[in-house]
Amino acid sequence: MSNKKKKFFLVRWFKRCVLGDRAELSTEEEERIQTPMRAMLSSFVHKPLAMIGLFVFLAIFVFVLVGPRFWPLDLSEQDATLTNLPPSSDMMNVPEELLETGIADIASGNTYGIGIDVNGKLYIWGHTRVTDKIDMADIPQEVLDADIVHIAAGTDHCVAVAADGQVYVWGNTRLKQDQFSNDMEKAMEKGGEDWEVIQLEASNQFSAIVTSDGNLYLWGNGNMADIKLRSKYEGEIAKVALTENEYICLLTDGTVAYTGYKDKNSPFAKIPSELKGKTVVDIAATGKSVAAVTEDGEIVVWGNALKGEADVPELSAKPVKLYGGRYHYTALLENGDVVSWGDNKYGQIDVPEAVHAADDVQNIYVSNYQNYAVAADGELYTWGLKGFVLGTDSLGRDMLTRIVNGGRVTMTVGAISVVIATILGVLFGGLAGYFGGKLDILIMRIAEIVGGLPFIPFAMILSAVIGTRLDPTQRMYLIMVVLGVLSWVPTCRLVRAQILAQREMEYVTAAKAMGIREGTIVFRHILPNVVSLLIVSMTLDFATCMLTESTLSYLGFGIPLPTPTWGNLLNGANNSIVIQQYWWQWVFPAAIFGVCTICINLIGDGLRDALDPKALER
Amino acid sequence: MGKYIAKRIGYMALVFLIVSFLMYALYNLIPTDPARAELEAQKRNLKPDEYEQMYQQLRAQMGLDDPLVIRYARWMGLWPDVEGGFNGLLQGNFGYSEFFKQDVIRVIEAPMGNTIFINIFSTILALGITIPLGIYCAVHKGKKIDNGVQVVTMLGYSLPIYIIALVFMFFFCVYWRIFPISGTKTAGAIYNSGWEEFLDMLIHVTLPVIVMTFASLGGMTRYVRSAMIDALSMDYIRTARAKGLKEKVVIYSHAWRNALLPIITSIIGWFISIFSGSVIIENTFSLNGMGKLYWTGLNNLDFELVLAIQMFYTVVALIGSLIMDVSYGLVDPRVRVDK
Repeated sequence: MSNKKKKFFLVRWFKRCVLGDRAELSTEEEERIQTPMRAMLSSFVHKPLAMIGLFVFLAIFVFVLVGPRFWPLDLSEQDATLTNLPPSSDMMNVPEELLETGIADIASGNTYGIGIDVNGKLYIWGHTRVTDKIDMADIPQEVLDADIVHIAAGTDHCVAVAADGQVYVWGNTRLKQDQFSNDMEKAMEKGGEDWEVIQLEASNQFSAIVTSDGNLYLWGNGNMADIKLRSKYEGEIAKVALTENEYICLLTDGTVAYTGYKDKNSPFAKIPSELKGKTVVDIAATGKSVAAVTEDGEIVVWGNALKGEADVPELSAKPVKLYGGRYHYTALLENGDVVSWGDNKYGQIDVPEAVHAADDVQNIYVSNYQNYAVAADGELYTWGLKGFVLGTDSLGRDMLTRIVNGGRVTMTVGAISVVIATILGVLFGGLAGYFGGKLDILIMRIAEIVGGLPFIPFAMILSAVIGTRLDPTQRMYLIMVVLGVLSWVPTCRLVRAQILAQREMEYVTAAKAMGIREGTIVFRHILPNVVSLLIVSMTLDFATCMLTESTLSYLGFGIPLPTPTWGNLLNGANNSIVIQQYWWQWVFPAAIFGVCTICINLIGDGLRDALDPKALER
Repeated sequence: MGKYIAKRIGYMALVFLIVSFLMYALYNLIPTDPARAELEAQKRNLKPDEYEQMYQQLRAQMGLDDPLVIRYARWMGLWPDVEGGFNGLLQGNFGYSEFFKQDVIRVIEAPMGNTIFINIFSTILALGITIPLGIYCAVHKGKKIDNGVQVVTMLGYSLPIYIIALVFMFFFCVYWRIFPISGTKTAGAIYNSGWEEFLDMLIHVTLPVIVMTFASLGGMTRYVRSAMIDALSMDYIRTARAKGLKEKVVIYSHAWRNALLPIITSIIGWFISIFSGSVIIENTFSLNGMGKLYWTGLNNLDFELVLAIQMFYTVVALIGSLIMDVSYGLVDPRVRVDK
């Protein structure tokens, strides 16, 4: 009931905005003859369905118009680690039980988090199905039973170390992720002081362990990653930092060294001169860069810092610890404050205000796109990738961004083609209707030919033949022109018929008698009387043009990828895998597009009924 | 009547020539060289000057250096080709498909059958549903059923056909698994009889036909409904009712026949759009039809094939408009088309 009232309130409000307050009109004003436009509008606002359509359409319109500011489109964007993710926002929802018991360690994969509590119990949260076959939540029973003390998450595998020194690997193990090196197996067998794990790391298909006696053990896919250690560094390793395929080490003497075998062409092998003669207290690595903190608080970044990893901000205090995500760094300062910098696509560096306010952060766990900070009182703060509201597509692009930007393209194309079609239709229709005779016959024959052509095949042909030499932007203009040129016929017929009727009216005779030029009569005297009809046909044509554009794009002959439109977002959706498993890739674009065209049609029908009093009987 | 039809056919032929010439000219914008493509295989074994000589000879033989109009007339079969014979579209030579390495006529045989089968099927279904439904809604205007149908038909004509197809695929092929998701026959099936083959095809085309029917329900039902409402609001209906005629007679004999004229206009337009709409349906369901073939041809720049199919679409459209004009006269004796 209250809902209904609200709706009528909106209708009344809109009416007041458009037509002014009715109550204040005098009888004389009330009875004054209205222009067709005004009559149409005043009738239109009394149609609830059409008004709902108008409001919903305006909402969508504003959404796609303003949306790209918040979700900017990056045409070259793609991320192989974030493909086909379902809609979610729980990637950093740490289980309550873990928080209550007390966090001992947290590691995060691309889309999931894994943690252990102080009792060695394992927890996993977020989107754990990293590929169609591998679900990280399928944790082996022996791991669940064991008392885990170290945990690490790689791209598609997890590593855990138990209190008794046993190492467990699960997830993708087909690329030797669970094949330990000989040295490591020996050390594990000896146990005791030889196998006291102090650091466990995992990265893209390989993992690393540092033991208390300064040894580093690496294992995994050696074809991709550098998993060898130069023997001269044995026993001197204090800490390791893994990039996607390589690693650097912090040695026990406080220097940083590249200890692998790829030093000839590795961007990390050349240790920056700023670090010479200084003691390094901590190191960290992102996917493609590494960083070190010196004793006097200086942070040095080297490697391929393409996403702003090297732009270290002004720090309020000396950094003591450094952590690396996939494209960002997070530093813990001496005064308990936390600073993040680097790529901010998923909010990885937007440290919450509460963290700054708390100033007592004890531990930070950073990997991939996620940050977890634990304060002294056990409070947990998180920032970074929480999930994708509408999921991602097969190239790891955010569906929401694609839909918003696609909507803008679709609507722009639709609007411009309608304008082209209307201009052509009015011009030809006006000429044919007013002048008649041979010109009329010629124009109507052309209209017949154009109108008789099968629309979709013809548009496909034009797009294919002319489009081959154009770049994507020009091709977008081409689609607009093609749609406009092929859909002017109904408007032309409408205008011609109207003008044939209006031509015999007295006001035209009067205008002629006054010696006004014929062109002026057509376009300045007759046309304004046809405008309200034109508006109706433009509204309905707008929906048709959007439909046609999206159909062409769906078939691959419209606007080419990677520019998104509501049509080509659905391109490739017609196979059972996408329809069933990746439903969000077609349901959301289809839904918003469907709602949009339905609303436009509701508006158009409402306007048409409002214009034609006879239609009210229907 | 006969004279009128003859005149119309003459006009159709003119339009066909104009359209086909435009299409042919459009294709000639594409930089291809069939002579060079023909010689590509032998290029290695020839010396450069030998190659050049053969190339020029082949060009002359193929008539590639002649003006556009002559090449068009040859393709159409209105001008003798280099050997002096007529061998073009009008003589039944539809060209050679570079992609399928076969004569176009061979390539389009099977798809053409499928397309016509599907389209006629869905046309009959759609008309069989929309006309009674539209009449029912017009008679029961403003009732609950009418309002419900209005909402459904609104969906039918607002949603693009491929979205409808995706939704139907989701429910019928993936969720309930009633129909196969694509193709015209079960992969690797061996049939014992022609009947089995036909049944298998029927199962495969059922969903596409349902989708096409559903998509066309919207516009047609609304059209029939509004035409019927117009007719039912006329004075002669009141007279007929006042005479004490049965309601059935009033509706079907008095109102329906008068509502038929505007409906026929839209049926034909819709019939044409079904043919072009099947490009989408055939692609979505991977049916081996003309639309799919057209899409394949365009994607592989196989222009003789595409041109032939385009001509097919044009002919369908022209014949459609002829039938429309003629049926005006048949349905409504007041309209004298031959005047």
